[in-house]
Amino acid sequence: MQIAASSRVFVTDRDEKIYGVLAEFATPAALYHAAEQVRDAGYSKWDTFSPFPIHGMEEAMGIKRTILPVLVAIGGFSGAGLGFLMQSWMSAVDYKMVTAGQPYLAWQSFVPITFELGILLSAFTCIIGMLALNGLPRWNHPLFKKERFLRSSDDKYFVCIEAADPNFHPEKTRALLEKAGATSIELVEE
Amino acid sequence: MSSMHANPSTLLSADNITLGSAGAPAGKGLGTGLVAVGVLLAAAGLGLGLSKGGSTAMHAMAAFTVGVMSVIAISLGCLFFLMVWSLLNAGWGATIKRQFENVASLLPIAWLGLVVILIIEIASKGLMLQWLRPEFASDYLLAKKAVYFWGVGGPGDLPLFFIARTLFYGAAWWYLTHIVVGNARKMDATSDPATAAKLAAQVRFTSAWGLPVFALTLSFAAFDYLMGVDFKFFSTMWGVYYFATAAFSGLGFVAVVLAVLLGKGKLRGVVTEEHFHDLGKLMFAFTVFWAYISFCQYFLYWYSNIPEETAFYLHRKTLGWQYLGAFLMIGHFAVPFLFILSRHVKKVRGLLMATGVWFMIVHVADIFWVVRPMVYPTGDGPGLGGAHLDVLGIGGVLLAFLGLVIAKVGSLPLVGVNDPYMGEALEHKNYV
Repeated sequence: MQIAASSRVFVTDRDEKIYGVLAEFATPAALYHAAEQVRDAGYSKWDTFSPFPIHGMEEAMGIKRTILPVLVAIGGFSGAGLGFLMQSWMSAVDYKMVTAGQPYLAWQSFVPITFELGILLSAFTCIIGMLALNGLPRWNHPLFKKERFLRSSDDKYFVCIEAADPNFHPEKTRALLEKAGATSIELVEE
Repeated sequence: MSSMHANPSTLLSADNITLGSAGAPAGKGLGTGLVAVGVLLAAAGLGLGLSKGGSTAMHAMAAFTVGVMSVIAISLGCLFFLMVWSLLNAGWGATIKRQFENVASLLPIAWLGLVVILIIEIASKGLMLQWLRPEFASDYLLAKKAVYFWGVGGPGDLPLFFIARTLFYGAAWWYLTHIVVGNARKMDATSDPATAAKLAAQVRFTSAWGLPVFALTLSFAAFDYLMGVDFKFFSTMWGVYYFATAAFSGLGFVAVVLAVLLGKGKLRGVVTEEHFHDLGKLMFAFTVFWAYISFCQYFLYWYSNIPEETAFYLHRKTLGWQYLGAFLMIGHFAVPFLFILSRHVKKVRGLLMATGVWFMIVHVADIFWVVRPMVYPTGDGPGLGGAHLDVLGIGGVLLAFLGLVIAKVGSLPLVGVNDPYMGEALEHKNYV
């Protein structure tokens, strides 16, 4: 569930909360140029949907780079560092035992586990961080109620601007999408 | 989708893709000069050492070997990427391929360094290659390994199998570069796409069987001229170790060449930050690969602690060599790993160029670490007093190689304009 950034709540005639406006486009090029216009109009809570990845869509949508790599780096280095500390503490402090005539603090033997824990924690941070940043997992999405939207996995291209966006306005947002060349526009209820 | 499509004909205009003025190849004087100085220095180093004999001769020979094996690694690394791209149908590299070709084309010349080593070693009865020495003629381990060195006969005879192998490396490397690089040159001369496609197909066919040949010749050259310095030592990792450093140094060297060319105002819009980004990814990958391979080799020997294996590391963990080893762990792995981990750094030409220069330093230090500790095994060396021999031998070979690269880069268009993948490479972008 998206939490509205503003206190404004839009409802339909039947008193249903509005999730956003869904606009359909006929071609990838139309979607690309529509995305540029939505971006330039200053919207932040919106997304595009297409059956296949469209090259350059990140720039057309003005998507900023994710912070996931930074999180993964923190996870990975913490994993490696903690792994090394754990083994050092175990072998040289907590339970000293001579193994193969090597010193207690034989860093060579710590490397594989240090490496593995680095990998493990970066992989966990990566998958959990990705899910969290995407707002996943979730049971359902308002867009799935729209029959038309199912064609986003076949041959149609969509823009959805959410009502939670501070710039959202039922008429103005609709007008913008019309101007951008949408072939059909509809309201999506939550 | 982007509206920023630049016109290929302006990007590939003669001014943008040739060094110097029309018709007059650039860098010929500088290149020839460097080659002359380099060869003189290397010859002076060898002459100085060999005339003194004993450990000093060994020292000079070791320095020369370090130089030769370093530049062979750089050329082999470049040849490797050309063959792999051809096999994988990789298009993005078409605009940077020419510089890989320039460096790879020097492989047969670099191989001549091996011939020089071979002749001096046989004539001197094993300056560096100890198995040639009469003192080891009755060694038990050498008798067991005699077939690999001599084929027929044994200590005291001419090492026929060893000589034949070296000649085979030369023939294989000449043929592979002749096809892989030569066909790219032929493409320059044709404007017919069908002919270009045919030439590219021949490169692919050659790469398919050439890659195993490449792997075997690289491994055995590394066995013969690096691992063979101590015939009692053996490592099944050795071929991979040399390959790792070859791919590592080839990438670093080309990154520097490309950055210099862009700094001269060439290749604008042809080699973009996207190409540097991908080059940087490969450099990062082989930084990690080298660390992985070299640690694995060390770890197994440290762990099993068998005398004939640990001798190699004992030499390199005593008498001050441990500091060079520590430098390699930090400089060859930790520093580049942390530095080019960031996506931003890979895209900035100047930063990637600095990384490439650093790669060259640690690459030579790596080969130095392999060869040089064997010269004064008991630590009775002249210390820094003998540094001039290292400078002459290593510096001479590197300078000559650099001169050859400069002359080569200046003599040809900076990209293969008729490459079938050129269009794809000009539009290349990392969409993640």
